[in-house]
Amino acid sequence: MISSEDAMKKPVPVPDADSAALWHGLRDGMLLLQHCADCGHVQYYQQAMCRQCGGENLSHRPASGRGKIHSFSVVHRAPGPAFKADTPYAVLLIDLEEGPRIISTYTGGKPEDVVFDMEVMLVCEKVNDEITLPRFRKA
Amino acid sequence: MPFIRKQTLRGKVAVIGIGMSPVGKVPGKSPLWLAADAAKKALADAGIGKSEIDGVLSSHAFASPFHRFSVAFSEYLGIQPTFSNTLQVSGATAATMFNIGAAAIHGGLAEVVLVVGGDSLLTGLTPDLALRSMTESRDQQYEMPFGIPVANTFAMTAHRHMKAFGTTPEQLAEVAVVQRRHAMRTPGAQQTTPITVDDVLSSGMVTTPYHKLDCSLISDGGAAFILTSAEHAKALGIKSPIYILGGGECYTHEHIFLMPSLTTTGAVESSRRAYEMAGYGPKDMDLAGVYDCFTGTVIMMLEDLGFCPKGEGGRFVEDGQMTYGGQIPSNTHGGLLSFAHSGVPGSLFHFHEVIAQLRGQCGERQVPGAELGLVHSLGAGFATNATTILGTENTL
Repeated sequence: MISSEDAMKKPVPVPDADSAALWHGLRDGMLLLQHCADCGHVQYYQQAMCRQCGGENLSHRPASGRGKIHSFSVVHRAPGPAFKADTPYAVLLIDLEEGPRIISTYTGGKPEDVVFDMEVMLVCEKVNDEITLPRFRKA
Repeated sequence: MPFIRKQTLRGKVAVIGIGMSPVGKVPGKSPLWLAADAAKKALADAGIGKSEIDGVLSSHAFASPFHRFSVAFSEYLGIQPTFSNTLQVSGATAATMFNIGAAAIHGGLAEVVLVVGGDSLLTGLTPDLALRSMTESRDQQYEMPFGIPVANTFAMTAHRHMKAFGTTPEQLAEVAVVQRRHAMRTPGAQQTTPITVDDVLSSGMVTTPYHKLDCSLISDGGAAFILTSAEHAKALGIKSPIYILGGGECYTHEHIFLMPSLTTTGAVESSRRAYEMAGYGPKDMDLAGVYDCFTGTVIMMLEDLGFCPKGEGGRFVEDGQMTYGGQIPSNTHGGLLSFAHSGVPGSLFHFHEVIAQLRGQCGERQVPGAELGLVHSLGAGFATNATTILGTENTL
């Protein structure tokens, strides 16, 4: 359970057996997508099995980083103290060029500039030595 | 070749007792007390004793330390059931409790099932628990690092609905206005001050497009129901048993970015299954309890439950179709937006209202001649959907 002290800090992803490669890739500036060699399905997030065919013959390939905003919502009331200073910020649902949809936040501009179908580009934002978050700026 | 269900629970199980604790701000009372207080009232309403309960289904409670709420509840009430579970599919849990309770009775696992929930989100959460409920609701690896409030996933679906169908902020606000009007006639409702569309639009932005008054309340409260077989209800001489005619569920995703469509939800399939089992369609319903965590949620549900075509929910609400005299009076008690929202039990209040309406017990807010009602529960950014259809003896 989270304590009041922890709540002052932003949650940092803890990689697991399914996702280690993703976070490793982000550290090197790449957003890795999983491509299924058996059925051709491309998926995000990372797991050790294809969500379409159940195959385990998955390879990691870097995404181009290009995508389009499918929907978004600008947060004015933060979920807890850790995000308060960031408000207002835009949460984005982005359709990546390769197909999968990803959730992230807008960076490098004002949240009020965000519009539907806007083209965006990946920005790898370092949180600490372990974790780099995939965020997006205007393309 | 689709699998055809030959034998279903349609009409086999009746609700014979309903009860509700005080709701809104109820300081000094635990979730277990709120649940047990509601249970005592449901037992009294059915005219049976607690020893006659052999099954207990409950939701979990944020403000309770017990992982097995249904088990702790049974000890609290002083009963030893032979069928029990604490269900957890977020906001959809309410309808799943009715569906599973009915299935358990129909399948012979239990004869008298108590469906119960209670929570105290308003006065019972310690600061740590409150933070937990805010920050642990979404995936810790892929969603929460970006700072996603509970309202945000629902907000992104409503926002896309506005983009796709031209739904307006005024139409969203109208849902809150209508439901507030309903709550004004409901004894015990938490919010009864009249509001206008302008009030909603000027109530401060939470996460676009949702303002404060587009969001449901935070409350304390519990509700309970006694379910039993149609035969047993008859043997007990219950005056107006309300029958479970159909149930359906649908789970489309866990992560919001894997929701198949942001504007069409699993409610289409859960309600389709419930209608099919009941042998009735949306046009046959006299009233509905529609999960209303946010105003836009109601608009999307009125479409997905079949009350109006996809994309027309905003206009449907604007035209007065979700209130008295309209096509489907919905949330006639005021719903989560104005009556009370004590977490998962919040949707049990919709059941309480629909059943009371079908019994003809709602006084000045009675929907005249109501015989068929639908309740839809959902949760977790539309990840979970469950529908139950209820009817009077005439509808069997």
